[in-house]
Amino acid sequence: MQSTRLTTVVLLLPWILTFVVFWLFPLLFSLITGFTDYSLISRNATVWVGFDNYRELITDQEFISSIKNTFIFVFGTVPITTVISLYMAVLVNRRFKGRGLFRAGYFLPSITSMVVISLIFTNLYNRGGYIAGLATMLGFSTPENGFLYNRSTALYSIMAMDIWMSVGYYMLIFLSGLKSIPSELYEAARIQGAGNIRQFFSITLPLLKPVALFIIVINTIKSFQVFVEIFVMTKGKFETASMVYFIYKTGVTTAFQFGYASAATYILFAIIGIFSVIQFLLMRRRQPLW
Amino acid sequence: MVAEYIKKVIHYIILTLILGIMVFPLLWMFRVSLMPAGSLGSFVELWQGNFTLKNFYDLFTTSSMGRYIFNSSFVALIVTAGNILFCFMTAYALARYRTIFTKILFVSVIIILMIPAHILIVPLYVLMLKAKLYDTYWALILPWLVNPIGIFLLKQYIESLPSTMEDAARVDGAGEFRIIMTIVMPLCKPALAVVAIQIFFTNWNLFLFPYILTSSESLRTLPVALAHFQGQQAIDWQHLMAGSAIAVIPVLVIFIILQKKIVSGITAGAVKQ
Repeated sequence: MQSTRLTTVVLLLPWILTFVVFWLFPLLFSLITGFTDYSLISRNATVWVGFDNYRELITDQEFISSIKNTFIFVFGTVPITTVISLYMAVLVNRRFKGRGLFRAGYFLPSITSMVVISLIFTNLYNRGGYIAGLATMLGFSTPENGFLYNRSTALYSIMAMDIWMSVGYYMLIFLSGLKSIPSELYEAARIQGAGNIRQFFSITLPLLKPVALFIIVINTIKSFQVFVEIFVMTKGKFETASMVYFIYKTGVTTAFQFGYASAATYILFAIIGIFSVIQFLLMRRRQPLW
Repeated sequence: MVAEYIKKVIHYIILTLILGIMVFPLLWMFRVSLMPAGSLGSFVELWQGNFTLKNFYDLFTTSSMGRYIFNSSFVALIVTAGNILFCFMTAYALARYRTIFTKILFVSVIIILMIPAHILIVPLYVLMLKAKLYDTYWALILPWLVNPIGIFLLKQYIESLPSTMEDAARVDGAGEFRIIMTIVMPLCKPALAVVAIQIFFTNWNLFLFPYILTSSESLRTLPVALAHFQGQQAIDWQHLMAGSAIAVIPVLVIFIILQKKIVSGITAGAVKQ
């Protein structure tokens, strides 16, 4: 019995260390730091400032605008991504020749490096780039400096790229949901004379609701953390800076305001936390965890 | 019959249109990476322009491309190997030894699974600085050696295996570690492969943490190096896309070979990216 206990501890040691050193400690560290003026370059000793950082944050125009941008990003991309990926899943769920090829092609962007994707689209969105060319061809006017160097189009351009990149991934999850719908249901509907559209709305959609909900929640959590594409494409200019970009900029560049950035981190954490709790509840319903 | 046929044609047209939108940017990247420097990249050039490998040659001779490839591969392979071993060990203990202690630890796995890694920006930076690990390979490797998603997937897999073989080996007097490593681990190969691919891809593409936790040029991984390239005035799109192609090709090759495994991993572990 003694030896099993020892074995258990040895087996679990790597996770315990990772959990304590790289998760628990950092979480507590930034919680506490958020109430201080701790920074890398300040000469004075670190002082406890209570809720000052939080008070300052809610009046900081840059932070408020980063919240606004993040919310536009999340609530703009998540619904569109969900609808398009569902449509694509239904499209490739039927039996037809070359199905595997189409699925693989659709999925490809989501395993490509975000830095690479952002570089590619920086060029495509440029003045004289392919996307501007396509827009002109279709009769739309295009911004003079390209889509990314313009306040009114930069964020939406990044959002469009993000949707393009992630639909393939969520399509795969929808596909696994579609597979679990028994085909007898469709046969019964066909016998009763229900068409494709009717079948979709009265069978597919209601039965996919749990999967859709799951996708919406994980995509929301992921989208609240948008950073790389903004960093590469606009460096946060032209009203594109997200909350993570704000944390990055105030926390680990120029002024290294650890305290201030930690407070901002916890505000982001609280927002994401709400969705994490929903995800937790969904997971428990999908499969009993313990 | 005719209506059925038309429907089929429309279906293929829509499918192909979407496929075009999805793969065009990547094809564009490969095509531009093979264009002679100074090309304008016009649509006509995409079809009729020349092909050259000079951009790739330049990157290897005038930048530390070899070093970046080594860094990306080295870090991603070590992290993947670490995850295979450590996630398996943890998952086995959580699946087979049911005590209060392991139950609490599993809750910690689930919680971390849902906590966004980006909240670590400031604390991880300070931690690495204070531990004198900033700007070393350790900073790129240590935090990611045990990923909760790997533990979660492997635990589920181990629970689906019967424990009769382990019990028999125990009766024969085999030690716990021998049982775990020589009996259970080989049985978990399919799940381990899924975890390995997912961890490798994630780490290969990782940008933010390698970017903030290192400063030396010699420690840059491919995504970090590409972001730095972009900031240089001297670099043109042909070379930038050649560098991008180098970062994408390994992922592409692995994807083509192991497509089925990757897809099953996504659908099984669609919990955290």
